[in-house]
Amino acid sequence: MKQEDPSDFVQAPGDRLTRAAGKQLAVYGVAAVLLLTAAMFLLNALAGLTSSAAGMSRMAVDVENNTITSYLRQEPPQMNSMLATDAVSGMVLAHVMEGLLRYDQYGELVGGVAERWQLEGNTMTFWLRDDARWSNGEPVTAHDFEFAWKNLLSPSVGSQYAFILYPILNAEQANNGEVPIDDVGINAVDDRTLVVTLATPIAYFDRMVAFVTYLPANEAFYRQTDGRYGADADEMLYNGPFMMTSWVHGASMRLEKNPYYWDADRIRLDAINFAHMTSDSSTLLNLFKDNQIVMADLGSEMLEEAMLQGWSLNQFMEGTVFYTDFNHRPERLTANLNLRKAMALVHDSGELVNKVIKLPGYLPGKSLFPVWLPGVDDNFREEYPAPVYQRDVAQARVYLQRALDELGLDRLPPLVLLTGDTPVSRIQAEYYQEVFKRNLDIDLVIDAQIFRQRLEKMTAGDFDLVAAGWGPDYNDPLTFGDLYASWNLNNRGRYSNPALDAQVRIAQNSLDMTERMRAFAEIQRIIHEDVVMMPDYERGYVYVTHPQVRGIVRHVIGAETDFTNAWIDAGE
Amino acid sequence: MEKNPIIRRLRPEDLAALSGQSSAPVLVRPSRSYWQDAWGRLKANKRALVSLYIIIGLLVFTFIGPLVWQVDPALQDIDQISVAPGADRGAIVVDAFEAWDGQAPAPGFAAGDGLSLAGQPTTQSVKLQWQDMAGADSYLVYRNNFVPDNVNTLGLPLMQISDPSQRFYEDRLDLRPGTYYYSVAALDAFDQRTGDYQTVVADVIRVITVNEVRTRNLVDDPDALRPGDEVRLSWHPLGTDYLGRDMLARLMAGARVSLFIGLLAPLFFVAFGVIYGATSGFVGGRLDSVMMRFADFVVALPFLLFMILFQVVFGIGPGESGIIPMLVALIILSWPATARLVRGQILQIREEAYVSAARLLGASQNYLILRHMIPNTLGVILVTLTFAVPAAIFTEAFLSFIGMGVAPPTASWGSMCNEGLKTMLTHPHELIFPAAMISITVLAFNLLGDGLRDALDAKMRSTE
Repeated sequence: MKQEDPSDFVQAPGDRLTRAAGKQLAVYGVAAVLLLTAAMFLLNALAGLTSSAAGMSRMAVDVENNTITSYLRQEPPQMNSMLATDAVSGMVLAHVMEGLLRYDQYGELVGGVAERWQLEGNTMTFWLRDDARWSNGEPVTAHDFEFAWKNLLSPSVGSQYAFILYPILNAEQANNGEVPIDDVGINAVDDRTLVVTLATPIAYFDRMVAFVTYLPANEAFYRQTDGRYGADADEMLYNGPFMMTSWVHGASMRLEKNPYYWDADRIRLDAINFAHMTSDSSTLLNLFKDNQIVMADLGSEMLEEAMLQGWSLNQFMEGTVFYTDFNHRPERLTANLNLRKAMALVHDSGELVNKVIKLPGYLPGKSLFPVWLPGVDDNFREEYPAPVYQRDVAQARVYLQRALDELGLDRLPPLVLLTGDTPVSRIQAEYYQEVFKRNLDIDLVIDAQIFRQRLEKMTAGDFDLVAAGWGPDYNDPLTFGDLYASWNLNNRGRYSNPALDAQVRIAQNSLDMTERMRAFAEIQRIIHEDVVMMPDYERGYVYVTHPQVRGIVRHVIGAETDFTNAWIDAGE
Repeated sequence: MEKNPIIRRLRPEDLAALSGQSSAPVLVRPSRSYWQDAWGRLKANKRALVSLYIIIGLLVFTFIGPLVWQVDPALQDIDQISVAPGADRGAIVVDAFEAWDGQAPAPGFAAGDGLSLAGQPTTQSVKLQWQDMAGADSYLVYRNNFVPDNVNTLGLPLMQISDPSQRFYEDRLDLRPGTYYYSVAALDAFDQRTGDYQTVVADVIRVITVNEVRTRNLVDDPDALRPGDEVRLSWHPLGTDYLGRDMLARLMAGARVSLFIGLLAPLFFVAFGVIYGATSGFVGGRLDSVMMRFADFVVALPFLLFMILFQVVFGIGPGESGIIPMLVALIILSWPATARLVRGQILQIREEAYVSAARLLGASQNYLILRHMIPNTLGVILVTLTFAVPAAIFTEAFLSFIGMGVAPPTASWGSMCNEGLKTMLTHPHELIFPAAMISITVLAFNLLGDGLRDALDAKMRSTE
């Protein structure tokens, strides 16, 4: 509409309305912002009162109380050393319990509760120190070890790690219910002498007793908890450097110095708070920046910022080997050797680590045996270098054609790659999808599952390829070497080869280190030639620690993060 | 104002009979149909018009774009991971990589005092060599993007070299063209830094091997290349993501998924809602209340839970796309809003005087529906449709963001945002582009819907 008559021109009523409405809106807006701000502070104060971390220091380092605050990657299922299978339980247990032997800050095996120990033929004798005490003041005796070990071997307890005691005479039979539990070769001669009879003499038994499953338990206390042993902070007795004083499930945990610990002078911290239970790396980084935790692992996308901030970064080789396992069950396509060879020939772990994962500390995988494993004199991998496949696409296509001919197929149906749900495993899976598609025209279907689900599918054989990892239980190549033995339940692809089995038997039973290492080298060769699996990487961590906290140690074997030697350096 | 001149004085002529013609101006304009009128109003609304152009542009981007930009969205350019738009693409051809044994530095790179380079630093590898440091039991090699100030800020620990007689290191980790500051720190027997360290600057240049040139089809005749020649790497106008995939191609592929869901789902559920609501409203009575209570029941169903249930029911295995269950869940759960709206509209029209008049004149049901009901509800339906599209696109993006949508390697804007989020601080382009696409698309559809509402429904016109 056009206004012809200027005298009729008035301000449009809408304009005025808009202005008034705008003013009102602005008032409302300001009021809303103020109200929300007030609510925010109120809620924050309320949360502070009710939070699980209430009463705990919110600072990473509390110099006054000689306390540090850290995190746990997840809530431990329980703290019963006889049932523990996961790394988080293992880490906490290493702080609150002590076995016969333990690893010191340099990763050397030293005496824990045992003062000295000796292997004579089939018999291993441990002499216990007389000043080791439980946190209620009772002495730690050889009977506590005998009870714990026999208890976890009894079929009714159903310990998943019972197999680690199988070197002991009759342990396997007792665990299967074939012989009475009293026939197992564990015998507390008196309070301070423990005699263990082994099925066959093995050279590495002292390294095994440092493992979590070999921890002691006080029988009287265990009976008194009525099946709730290790379920709560007060349902346990502690004999380690620290004791758990509070455990708010799913939220926090507090460890305090154990006054009854025999070597209490060694411990310089008064308490450790695990105030957060999360594994989300960006949350952890924010907590670290906020000065709420003393250390945090970094993802590749955080490195640039860490360098910019000038943080002191550390690197740690975790010792775990990650590999892509094939399903060797006969009904699977991956049971075909030529197909596996073709895939191994386009697989390039160097490219995976250097270009895709991009995290320092990761080593390109070359073998099932990680680089740090001890050999006879030097490291095993120095003495027996691992054979590797170089990427050769033309050769791979030749093998693929052979495989197709053998299988009577024109084209491979899609293969299922079972993998985890972490960022690294997802990127890795997407990278493999492209590598095998581009070079061999093999379609990979990614099946990303949470850990428990993945384990279930691995056990059921519901995969063609699976991104798997294996961490060491003890410091001997056998902890990796028997992985593909046909009887090993962790051999998820059901690989079965009598030649490899024979070598595993030699490695298990021989006392001659050179002979054992030769057996491991032979296993390494068979795995390479038969393409049992494709090594991906050995995992490492880049982590940042609080500048005032010194002496945090990370172990390949035992507690992944060890605060027992840590102290606060208030000077900085 | 003057007084009315007619009243001033009457003359006899004034009372004479008029001739056949009227002197009054003809106050008619060409008759315009409802749609012509609506289109005219829409054209006058600049925001709506711009939104319309954006949506047309988006359709061109989605369907014609891939014909012009023929890059496979799944192709991984491993040499150019997380490259920002407009990065330098030049690369020098070199020989294939061979691991360095620490012997014989390249000519011109003889070992000097302390830490030094043992060859031209390239993206293939950086070779370092150093002299013995006093009291060193092992060495730790660091790399930094910034100048290190002291022994605590040496940067990324790359590798601990436990053999003190090995005084060389070859770095291959994620090397990019640019300047790096390498340091070597001496460690004592307990793996603690002695405080002794040395730093060297490495200006890394981008290189490529003939084999890589061949597999990536960068030049016509790769065999003619000699070391030292320069080639141009493939061009990525919007950069690449964390696996070196072309962002532009992925955005186009993602747009297809987003528009598939965003257009198809509203089309189906609005159609169903219209039929359902119209039946309910037109028939009325007990059927109406039963049907509407059922709609209320559907509204109460939680969407996310149903999404998960559908994925299970459909047997969507891991690694398969969840797009079809998403579509079905959207259709099954989103129609009640449209149904209610249309029912209300129909109820209202049914009671209008002109409908009663038509009834009295003996109009059939079909006539009533075709002549009165449908045309009068069409505006509402169209507006609902345009508002449903951005909502559906947003839902798709959200579900893909939390990992319930497309399966890799298929891209969708939501999943691209999810991936880009992780590298937000270091490579922001991986997040910004898909996020901007979602925002612009949703905004454009919303503004167009707003404009359509104003244009189609005179009653709901905003005061402008």
